[in-house]
Amino acid sequence: MNGPIRRLALGMFTAIFALLGAVTWYQMVRADDLKNDPRNARPALSERGKERGLIVTAEGDILAESVSDPDDPRNFIRTYPGGPLFAHTVGYSSFILGNTNLEAAYSNELRSRRDLTISDLVAVILGRDLRPRSIEVTLDADLQAAAYAALGGRRGAVVALDPRTGAILTSISSPSYNPEPLTGDDADAVWNALLVDPLSPLSDRATRELYAPGSTFKTVVSATAIDTGTAGPETEFPDPVEFQLPGSTATISNFGGGDCNDGVSITLLRALVVSCNTTFADLAIRVGAADLGITADALGFNTDLDFDWTIPQAIFPTNALENDPAALGQSGIGERDVRATPLHMAMVAAAVANGGEVFSPYLVTRIFDADGITIESFQPLSLGGAMTTTTASIVGQMMERVVTEGTGRSAAVPGIRVAGKTGTSQGSGEFPNPWFIGFAPIENPTIALAVFLEGGPELGESATGGALAAPIAADLFQLWLQGEQ
Amino acid sequence: MTRQTEGATIIAASVLAAFGVTLVNLATGGTLDAQSGLTFLIFVIAFGGIYLAARTWAPRSSSLLIAPVAALAAIGFLEIYRLDPARAALQRWWLLIGAAAAAIVLWLLSKGTTEVLRRYRYIILLVSMIFLLLPNLPQDWAFPLRGLEVNGSRLWIVLDVEITSLQFQPAELAKLGLVIFVAAYLADHQHALRQAHRKVGPFQFPEPRQLVPLLFAWGLSVVILISQRDLGASLLLFASFVLLLYATTGATGYLVTGGFLTVLAGVAGYYAFDHVQRRVAGWLQPFEHFEDAGYQISQGLFALGSGSLTGAGPGLGRPDLIPNAETDFIFAAVGEELGFAGTIAVLALYALVIAVGLGIAFRSRDTFRKLLAAGLSFVLGVQTFLIIGGVLRLVPLTGITLPFMSYGGSALVGNLVLIALLLRISHEEAK
Repeated sequence: MNGPIRRLALGMFTAIFALLGAVTWYQMVRADDLKNDPRNARPALSERGKERGLIVTAEGDILAESVSDPDDPRNFIRTYPGGPLFAHTVGYSSFILGNTNLEAAYSNELRSRRDLTISDLVAVILGRDLRPRSIEVTLDADLQAAAYAALGGRRGAVVALDPRTGAILTSISSPSYNPEPLTGDDADAVWNALLVDPLSPLSDRATRELYAPGSTFKTVVSATAIDTGTAGPETEFPDPVEFQLPGSTATISNFGGGDCNDGVSITLLRALVVSCNTTFADLAIRVGAADLGITADALGFNTDLDFDWTIPQAIFPTNALENDPAALGQSGIGERDVRATPLHMAMVAAAVANGGEVFSPYLVTRIFDADGITIESFQPLSLGGAMTTTTASIVGQMMERVVTEGTGRSAAVPGIRVAGKTGTSQGSGEFPNPWFIGFAPIENPTIALAVFLEGGPELGESATGGALAAPIAADLFQLWLQGEQ
Repeated sequence: MTRQTEGATIIAASVLAAFGVTLVNLATGGTLDAQSGLTFLIFVIAFGGIYLAARTWAPRSSSLLIAPVAALAAIGFLEIYRLDPARAALQRWWLLIGAAAAAIVLWLLSKGTTEVLRRYRYIILLVSMIFLLLPNLPQDWAFPLRGLEVNGSRLWIVLDVEITSLQFQPAELAKLGLVIFVAAYLADHQHALRQAHRKVGPFQFPEPRQLVPLLFAWGLSVVILISQRDLGASLLLFASFVLLLYATTGATGYLVTGGFLTVLAGVAGYYAFDHVQRRVAGWLQPFEHFEDAGYQISQGLFALGSGSLTGAGPGLGRPDLIPNAETDFIFAAVGEELGFAGTIAVLALYALVIAVGLGIAFRSRDTFRKLLAAGLSFVLGVQTFLIIGGVLRLVPLTGITLPFMSYGGSALVGNLVLIALLLRISHEEAK
């Protein structure tokens, strides 16, 4: 009987080897095909299924939250109660498209940490908490909503900072999009529709797009001139109809043509108040590219800002301008090759507001665990002084006059001392782009901002920062300073 | 393996089960709770209990059986726990009941010997047939013992006890009884069976009249199983029967006839039953029938592929996407969460258990014990091959449970008793 049993044993082990071969085939050879089969829901589910922490404001407004999927209690759905208001800052966490913005930058903190099995076990034995962590952001939900409403669907951006810390109170790009559909199964279709939208809602105009800052850059030229002693507020300049750029046939003229004052002379203060192009082209050449470059660099131009995502470098091409006075003159009024994001221009306003000291802009104040206990908090980071305190104070007072009696009158708020500077940049586009930068209140500034509208046929060829951007700033100053009191 | 290392390995298997439960908890809830400790305790009590019973009542038994079975049960248990913690809690009770049953069998057989089983073979056959028939009891009568139909198969009996009810698949125990009967019957008639050969071509066939009672008993049990639509179990019994006949006689004709009858039944079943047609379609082209017949197999293959080399980790895969993952497809669940490393470990453990079982048969001098040990090993081997082969598409999916690993109380009790029988035989045959 042992003969047949031996042969049957041989047969059984052949069968087990066949199983071994088959399992090798499916788990090793064909593993990737099976894993990536479109009908295999696992890769998508493993992303979707995971819980992520909250993203909240200091006031407790929830900007991002994972809620249990009613159809499958094992899964979580990422929701964004703020809808389009925070799409360009909070971003989205999509199992199809991946993560963006803060959802990407803090993905390690926000994600559940329950998948590093062995080390997790050790961590739990040591009493550690593996629940996802949450982050608190600097954004103010009311200000954000007001800024978005004020932009009213027009292409543009608003960035507001706390000048004392660099905390970003508002960063909004318009038009925006609702991030929630991007977290679901239809993400690709929704994304493709957004991609071909002519208003390009996916673009973050606040921190990721560079624009010519136009006349708002005159604040930088003024500050450098005062800092270097080249000129003071009362220094007299010629008041021509056109400024002849040296070594060039090109001229610079003023907005609407004509002179700025009396056709004879104009003080620097008056030139800023009425945004006189001829004066600032002249002044920029007198100050020189090197000194302008030093101030611009200290304000965050030509450098990589330490931020949660890559912000393009604002451009002031110092070296190129040193041997090209014509280009320097054009750069003095924020045109030619000068470029900045609205965030950079808000930093300029904040520096003037804060006695010349520049703070690195930031969005996240702290990381906290599921019990609300702070794990890590972030301190404001000073980037040093861009101008002396005295200079900042003088430029601030000059900017107040812009609002009280100059081009920025529609930024005025009753009972509050507002400083500002308008801009209407041409850049490389066909239509002018309205700008406004400013801060308030002058005696103790708590908000500095930049408002930008992207020029286009809907704004027209005569759009100005004073008419379109300054009123938005007034609304936000009023809302913010009322809220503070 | 000495008795000491066997004990240590049982503890290691218990730690494996508890560790697996801990990892699943971490992955899904992030907390340590009593489940880990409870699992460890139950495994130590159950397999430690069988171990102590074997030491006491079958001291010369093989020391290579309990530990690999404990390891298989541990791996299966962590996947059951991951898929359905409530069922895992029930499975823990069944583990204790199965261990108690195995210990009782060891104790009873220490009073007599396995000769008792041979002596009462017709009673065992009768009891097995009754067990097989029990699920055909009406579902809705007043008597507290009722039949129950689940998923179109009539395999269950329900025993109403006070407010609760116990469900059991009596076929799992009847399977053992039938193997005992067949082994005893073949041992009785081995000479007649071996001498009366007719040669047909290269194959040898016995006199038909030698087999009439046997074929009758088996035909009946197979008919009952088919009437209950449990094709997997009837195929398992038939295959084990044919293998035992061949082991007794060495006549290759039995294998040929058995294979022919299986194919014939398969072809007949294909044309007779819609659900057999669907199963064959799902087997041959699972992805073409993804929406219906091939869905379960496709999900099982996705699970295996997603597990790849090291697996997703306990609690971190999605074996819950596979229909009936904790019963028919527990092997795919292991493949997804423990990876290729886990599946080859499982196959190696089965190979070890079957090898030990066949080794016991091989070394037995008594014909009945030899055939019983061989029959029990065939049952384990064929069952393992049918269900894993079904998951891996080597054979059509028959829907039977994976021994020691799948969720299911009756199967666990039956298979632990099977191990107890193998232990007893190895004790009696040891010098």
